[in-house]
Parts: sequence; C-alpha cells; structure tokens
Amino acid sequence: MALEMTGSYELPVAREKVWEALNDPEMLKRCIPGCEELERVADNELRALVVAKVGPVKAKFKGKVFLADLDPPAGYRISGEGDGGIAGFAKGGARVDLAETSVGTLLTYTAEAQIGGKLAQLGQRLVAGTAKKTADEFFQNFAAAMTETAG
Amino acid sequence: MTHVSMTVNGRAVSADVEPRMLLVQFLREKLLLTGTHVGCDTSQCGACVVQVDGAAVKSCTLLAVQADGCAVLTIEGLAPSGALHPMQEAFREHHGLQCGFCTPGMIMTAMDMVARLGPDLDEATIRENLDGNLCRCTGYHNIVKAVAAGARAMAPASAAAE
Amino acid sequence: MNASTVTPIGAPVRRKEDKRFITGKGRYTDDLSRPGQAHAYFLRSPYAHARIRTIDTAAAAEMPGVVGVLTGRDLAQDGLGGLICGWMINSKDGSPMRAGAHPALAVDTVRYVGDHVAVVIAETLNLAKDAAAALAVEYEVLPAVPDLAVAQAQGAAQIHEAAPNNTVFEWELGDRAAVEAAFAQAAHVTEIDIVNNRLAPNPMEPRAAIGEYDAGDEAYTLWTTSQNPHVARLVLSAFVGLAPENKLRVIAPDVGGGFGSKIFIYAEETVCAWAAKKVGRPVKWTCERGEAFLCDAHGRDHVTKGRLALDAQGKILGFQVKTIANMGAYLSTFASCVPTYLYATLLSGQYAIPAIYCEVDAVYTNTAPVDAYRGAGRPEATFLVERIVDKAARELGIDPAEMRRRNFITAFPHQTPVIMCYDAGDYAASLDKALEMADYAGFPARRAEAERRGKLRGIGLSNYIEACGIAPSAAVGSLGAGVGLWESAEVRVNPTGNVEVLTGSHSHGQGHETTFAQLVSARLGIPIDQVTVIHGDTDKVQFGMGTYGSRSGAVGMSAIVKALDKVEAKAKKIAAHILEASEGDIEFKDGRFSVAGTDRGLAFAEVALNAYVAHKFPTSEIEPGLKEGAFYDPTNFTFPAGCHVCELEVDPETGTTEIVNWIAVDDFGTVINPMIVEGQVHGGIAQGVGQALMERVAYDGEGQLVTGSYMDYQMPRAEDFPAFKVGMTETRCPSNPLGMKGCGEAGAIAAPPAVINALADALGTQDISMPATPAKVWAIAQARVTRQAAE
Ligand code: FES
Ligand code: FES
Repeated sequence: MALEMTGSYELPVAREKVWEALNDPEMLKRCIPGCEELERVADNELRALVVAKVGPVKAKFKGKVFLADLDPPAGYRISGEGDGGIAGFAKGGARVDLAETSVGTLLTYTAEAQIGGKLAQLGQRLVAGTAKKTADEFFQNFAAAMTETAG
Repeated sequence: MTHVSMTVNGRAVSADVEPRMLLVQFLREKLLLTGTHVGCDTSQCGACVVQVDGAAVKSCTLLAVQADGCAVLTIEGLAPSGALHPMQEAFREHHGLQCGFCTPGMIMTAMDMVARLGPDLDEATIRENLDGNLCRCTGYHNIVKAVAAGARAMAPASAAAE
Repeated sequence: MNASTVTPIGAPVRRKEDKRFITGKGRYTDDLSRPGQAHAYFLRSPYAHARIRTIDTAAAAEMPGVVGVLTGRDLAQDGLGGLICGWMINSKDGSPMRAGAHPALAVDTVRYVGDHVAVVIAETLNLAKDAAAALAVEYEVLPAVPDLAVAQAQGAAQIHEAAPNNTVFEWELGDRAAVEAAFAQAAHVTEIDIVNNRLAPNPMEPRAAIGEYDAGDEAYTLWTTSQNPHVARLVLSAFVGLAPENKLRVIAPDVGGGFGSKIFIYAEETVCAWAAKKVGRPVKWTCERGEAFLCDAHGRDHVTKGRLALDAQGKILGFQVKTIANMGAYLSTFASCVPTYLYATLLSGQYAIPAIYCEVDAVYTNTAPVDAYRGAGRPEATFLVERIVDKAARELGIDPAEMRRRNFITAFPHQTPVIMCYDAGDYAASLDKALEMADYAGFPARRAEAERRGKLRGIGLSNYIEACGIAPSAAVGSLGAGVGLWESAEVRVNPTGNVEVLTGSHSHGQGHETTFAQLVSARLGIPIDQVTVIHGDTDKVQFGMGTYGSRSGAVGMSAIVKALDKVEAKAKKIAAHILEASEGDIEFKDGRFSVAGTDRGLAFAEVALNAYVAHKFPTSEIEPGLKEGAFYDPTNFTFPAGCHVCELEVDPETGTTEIVNWIAVDDFGTVINPMIVEGQVHGGIAQGVGQALMERVAYDGEGQLVTGSYMDYQMPRAEDFPAFKVGMTETRCPSNPLGMKGCGEAGAIAAPPAVINALADALGTQDISMPATPAKVWAIAQARVTRQAAE
C-alpha cells in the first residue's frame, strides 16, 4: 500500500531557524505524533520508537529515521521505516523544501507512506486517512512550535 | 485480573478474568460452553451470537467484564430439558444446517428476530435480518425456511393449531 | 421418516448428526482442550518477498508465560522435511515440474505476506502474542512479483531458484495439429479473454490444531480440521518425517466446512504436532480469520485466452486454450493437478468437439498458495466453455439454448479429445427441464416489463459437466498422482444386530452420518438409529482417502456396498446352518433371512447374535463374528451434469444486480437423500454467485493482501439470493454399484457462467469480468445508456 501526500505551511520564522529545528531530534520528537523516543545514532540517522494506530490495529514501531539529500538551509529528505512486530511494518518519507518569503519561510512537503502485514490487511481502507492525518499533525505541530519560538 | 459474575443459562457463575477477555472467550474457555463459535475477528460473521439480557449480541464484541451482572443465554441453554426448542427443531426439519458451525449463531439470531418482529416472518424480512450472519454451506435457502417455520412454531397458538 | 424406521434409498431422511449441532454440542477442534495445553501463535512475514537476515528470539523467550520459541532452523535441525505437492506434472518437453522447497517455517526466505517465520508457544494465546511482538526479525526486503501477468516476464524477481522464470511447468493436452486444421476450415472464430478471479474458501470454521506427544509411548496425536486425516498422517509420516504412521494418530473431529481448503497439509498443523514434543506440552493453535485470508490456500486465479472454431451453422469444430495458472509462492498439496488434469480434461463440456488443444503454464508469484477450492479446475473449465459458447451464439445470432443443443453429445459412451470418456448423460433432458422451469419462452415479456421499470433484465444459461468420483487409481497414477484414489469401508455388525460403519470418507457438512446410515438401513432392513457412521480418526478407521471432488457417494458408498455384500454373504451362510437349509436357498429381504418358499426365517439381529455366539455353525468352516471390510477402486470418473438458469435485473442507476430467479436442474445419477443433495446444490450456487458478483482476493503491487477481512472481502449473505428452484433428471452412472455421480460441487461449477451470461444478456456486452461488482456493472450500464443516446 503506497500513497502520496503534499502540503505547505507559512512559518513566521527565518529559514535558518526552521532548518535548525528540522535537524533537532528533540524538536522532531515533540512533533512526530506518538513518538516516544528519538535519538541520534549517527550524523544522519536517528533511532525512533513510535506508537501508531491504523484502524483497529495499534502498534509500537521500532525503527530508524534517515536524513538525506541535505541542502542547508533549503531542504532535505527525511525518511523512516518502522517494524511494528506482529502488526507489520510502516515506511514513509518526505521531501521538505524551505523557501524564504516576506514573512519568514514557506515549508512545502511531498510525503509518501507504505504499510504492510496486518496493518495493510485490516487498515488499508483507513491508511490514506491515517497517513494524511499523521503528516498533517506533524507539520502542524512543527508549525506551532516554530510560531511559539518566533513569539 | 478482574472479578465478574453473571447468570449463564440460568446458572450463576463468577470468575477472575483478564480485563481484555471477550465474552465469547469467557463462555468457551472458562465455562466450556463451546456451542458459541468464533468465525471472524471483525465482528461480521454472527457465529458468536448469544442473548444478553434478552437481546441478541455478538459475544465477540463484548468484554466479559461488560457482561458483569447480566443474564446470558447461549445455544446450550435454549432447551435445557433435553428436548428441542421449536427453533432448533425447525433447523433440523428443514435442513437448515450442513457443517453446523454457523448454526448456533443462526438460531440465536432467529430467536431474536421472533422476539422483535413476531412469529409471522416473511422471506424478505428473514433474509434482511440475517445480514449479520454468514453461512458458507447452505446458500441460506434452508435457513430461511427453517427460521420461518421455527418462528411459526413459536407462536403462542401454534400448538393448538397444529 | 423417523429414526426408528428403515430408511429407503431416495427418502429425504432428516439428519442424524443435527442434534449435536443445533444444541451446541458439536465437537470442533477448537472446542477441545487437552490437559496442560499451551497456545501457539505464528509470527508471519509482513513482506511479500524478503530474506531473513536474523531472528533474535532471546527477548521473546524471556517473556512471561513463554514455553518455547521455534524457528525454521529448529525444524531443519530436527531433520523434518518440507511440505509436499503430491501430483507430478511434466512439461511439454517431458521435464518434470520445477518445485521450490516449502518448509513449514521459513529458513532464510519468506515468499508471501503471511509466510511463517516463527512460532511462539505460551501459557495463553495473549501471552504468546505479546511475546511474538518481542521477536526481532531483520529482513532484507526483495522485489516482489505478486502479479500473475508479469511473473514470467524477463527481469521479474525470481521466487524459487528451482523454477526459472517463475514457471513451474508448461503443460499441454490435446492435439495441436488437429485444432489448427479445424481453425483453417472455420466459418467463424470466437475469441475470449478470461480472468478467473482468486477466491478465499472461507469455511466458517477456521482451521485449528492440537498436537500432543506421549513420551511414554513415543507417539503423537494430532487433532486437526482436516477433510482427509489419513492422507494428512501419510504425508506427515512419509514426507515430513514427523513419526512413523503407527506412532501418529490424526483425528479430524467435527469440521465446520472445508470446500477443499482443509484437504491440504499446512505449516501450522505440522508445527503443532512437532512442537508438542519439543516443548513437552500439548500445543493448540486456532486460526484467526485474518490469518485464514493470508494462509488458507486460495482457489482459481487463472488468466485464459480461448478460441473457438465454428462452422456457419454454429457447430463447434475446434477449441484452443492457453491458460496461465497462479500457484502462489509454494506448491500446495494438490496444486499442480488443479489447472491440468482437473481442468483441461473438462474442456469439452457437454459438447461434441472434434479437436481440443490446451496449454497451461503454472506460475509462481509472491502470494498465498493456490489449490483446490470447491470444484477445483472444473469451475474454471466450465466458465470458459460456457462463456465462449454463449458469446459464439450471440455473434452468430443463434439463441444460446439452441446453440448448445446443436452441439450436445447425444451418444454414450463418448470419448472426448481430452482423456475423459463420458459414460452416461442426457444433456437435452436437463436443458429442456430447466428452460421449462425458467419459463424461457416468457422471458422477452419479462424483460419488456422490467424495462418499463427502468431495469435491465437478462437471462443466462450454464450447461456444466464435471468429472467426479475421484478416481480410478491406476488412471490417476499414470497421470502423475502420488496416491491411489480408492476408498475403504468396514461394516461391523454387533452381536445385538446394530451396526457401525467405518469409512475413510470424511464428513464436514455433507451429512454422511445420515446418507451412509440410510444406505445400510435400506440394505440390511434395520432402523437407521441402529446404524452409526464412524469417520475421521486414523486409530478407528484403518485407511481412507477422504472427502473432496464429490467422491464420497460414488466411491465411499460403493466401498460400503462392497462390504455389505460380504456381510450379507457370510450372514447367509450362518443362517443356512441354523435353518438347516442349503445356502443357495437362503433369501435376504426386509431384514430377514428366510428359506425360499417356506415361512422359516431369522431376523437380521438373530443371525448377528448367532454369528458371535458361534454355537450353531462349524467354526472350522465359518469364522465367528460378522465384520467385513472392503476397498473400492472406481473404474471410471463419474460425470454429473446439468443446466442452471440465472435470471437477473440490473439497476443502471446504482449498478446493483439482483438475482430474481435461479433454476438448477442436475443429473446426479441415483440420489440417496434428496434433501441433502438439494442442500449441496444450494450451497454450491451461493459460492458460485459469490465468485461471479462479489468475491475476489486482491494483492497490491507490493504483494500486500488488501482483501484480508470480511470488511474488504465480500461474502454472500442471505439477502443476495432468491429462493432457488432445484429440479433433477436422472441417468444412472454405469460405473458404480449404486449408480451415483456426486453432487458436492455442481452449484459452484455451474453458477458463475450462468450469472455472467445473464449479465451479458442484460447489458448487451460480452466484456464483463468477475466479480461483476456494482461499480463495474454501473460503468457498463452507464456507457450503454450513453451509447444508446448517441445512436
Ligand atoms: S465471531 Fe463474532 S461476529 Fe464473527
Ligand atoms: S452450515 Fe456450515 S457455515 Fe452454515
């Protein structure tokens, strides 16, 4: 099951600040819905523990997050894959671009997600909604946190 | 562990159960009432239908603790004297079962249909009200006949009429 | 007809087994518990294709309540072999089929979503699941090929090293040159492309198993949801190498439907038996419905191109078929014979077709294994034949009924160009009766009336034939079967005159406990409640081949007849001594042995008692006791056939299809219990309609199963059907003593083309694929409306 989502956010913060936050594990942890642990294990690799629910299936995902195509401060690709044990797996990624605007920064993203195993079996009709919601929540949280910093 | 007590087929029972234990597991595993079956994991087959306080319930959708204090009737309690209930008899007479796995749920659903809609059930009504019960063997044809006949036999006057 | 009467053949005797089922006293495998049992949970692959790098079991093994965590390596270390496919198919070039290994637990590679990675055994199921979540498996994900259409393509990922191009075999049947010659002469050629959709069998009872090991006797017992416990024991013993047959008892208690899917020897049952010894506890496993969707062998899944050569009058001259059959990721127990000998041999249908040539490629994909499902090969053949004949009729402007009539086989025996020799039948008789019951002549008026209501009404025929009574052992052996397909029976007469019948057949809804007893009751003249049928336990019944392919009547009951012949012969001898008459003068009728022409006689029970008391006959000549066994090997397949008519209405606004009338006229030969036979027909029709209108197992591009629950896999429900009208015609089957043909699969074989032909009629197009869901039908109906508006 693969699907794609896009979105954009206006952030009243300078682009460098946004870029910094996008590379800050603490910040990411706060914003990724259901994220219980996130720690850097290498320059561009983080280890994560995320609890997620797709339809009737709730699972704890142990996984890795990778940062790639780094182009500071214009954007990067963030991707992750999680092993949900008997629930299956989830994989996802997003290309994030930051552009300077008169008020601050325009963040645009194109994200894709893929699930497998029991998650796909039972949750496939719900996964589109769940993935979209998760992506939205992340960027909303992120925007809110950034706005807070700005304020 | 949580303590639950309820009446099952007229008998008071109580036990300590895991909070996540379903009513159907309680009936099957704790009380060894294995006539109530499990045919799915998404509450769509109806093999597990029992009566809770007089209403048909899919016992896979209820936790055992949610039935605490309730009166539960299962297929085993339908005709405790050893005779057959008219609905059971109708399933036999009209060949409303093949492998028998869906049968307890079908019979309990049929009982509920009679309780809600009375003993005069036409074919369309029966088919419509079987929408929560799957049978893979019979093509439903004889189940529908059995439910109609069983319902008629349950009418108060039927004994005199026959 | 009550239990205390003698039950004649042909009477609708009510079922003996029903009492326990309607009172909740059935004994299905999951209803059983063994003292000290632990519960198994299987960790399954979430990937369609991956290499297993590591499995770390340490954390799981430490979890509370865990009794054992076992993987494919443990299985291999114990020297257990993989699961087998019991039918060898050779390719056109003579090379044997190329089968990849099929371990019960994956060793280094998983090949479909749901493939078995490890088993966790714990005190409760929930604890086993908790521990399974703590298993750490590192996968290297490999490209997957879930799609049959591209599995043989160059560059496609390879699923088994043993099978280049993912091709298991490239098989052929028939005479290519003769077919080419027929096409050269043809006045008309009809072509059709068919996808026979993949189905999930879905017996309402999910599979289950309890393995137990007695360390004192060094013997295993396996309770399992099997249609053929003896075959399961043979495979587990001879091929998997679990234990010798005398140290392995397999019991299939009440089984809640099978439809083929419980024939096969699966990973879970095998592992439960093996693990019972490993962990020193009985091990119980019950399949969840979600797991059943993943792992029960699926059915059908063919892609076919058919070409029919016809003369100007619509006589069929030749038939050419190319089929690609999906085997899934492994070859299941009988997978290879389904798209070959159970399929191509029926491509002649009910028609005299001079030349047929069929090619079948069997292909691996990263999906669940595919094997026999109700009808097994014969529904696929019937769908193809009945669709292409219907299409040809419409192209030639011939009425579909007339088209069929022009091509019927009318003289028997009839040798088809594809192995089968039809022994008896009257196809016009069932067509005529069906058309009459359906008021075929009145259809145009009904269609016009429906049109006034804004509905599109259609009528469709299906003249099916199947080969049942599987099967003559030497014949199937020459075609590659690993076993003979006879059946056994034992008739044990007790001293008080009641009878136990032990059969190698297995009943999981078919009502054998009644039908078999009815036969014995009629033959011995004793009340049916004095006859008990015993089946499903390898310790009780010596051997048997089980129930599938509509074989239990024609083969299983024939074995009983043979045993009854022997019982009667011996009882006559004993009666002759007691009555001091010559054996040749003893007659047996209505349960009494009498001396011809006198009123001297003995009741059956008196002879039975004397057989065991053994006072009144010389035991040097006649052994005491009255118990006889028989093995019956059929001399031919049987050929049930008939005609089904489906009449339906489409609502062009919503795309919904409503079946408004269903006529089934079947020729099953002799019918022992018409009530049970009609029930078999009803159930088969429902499954066939399910295939035609609703059911389809779908995988996405990555091989994820996306129809894995009753939310996404649409099962037929009561509201989807009208009451069925069932009629019978009868030609006796000459090849078995009772003249029976078999009835278990007819509906599932006949129904799909009847529905689609009716839809084609309603919608005015031949371009309709199964399942014809409302979305598809709506699109076609709308296109038709637009087209008509434009004209
Ligand atoms: S088991 Fe309860 S609805 Fe299926
Ligand atoms: S009788 Fe077998 S599922 Fe209904």
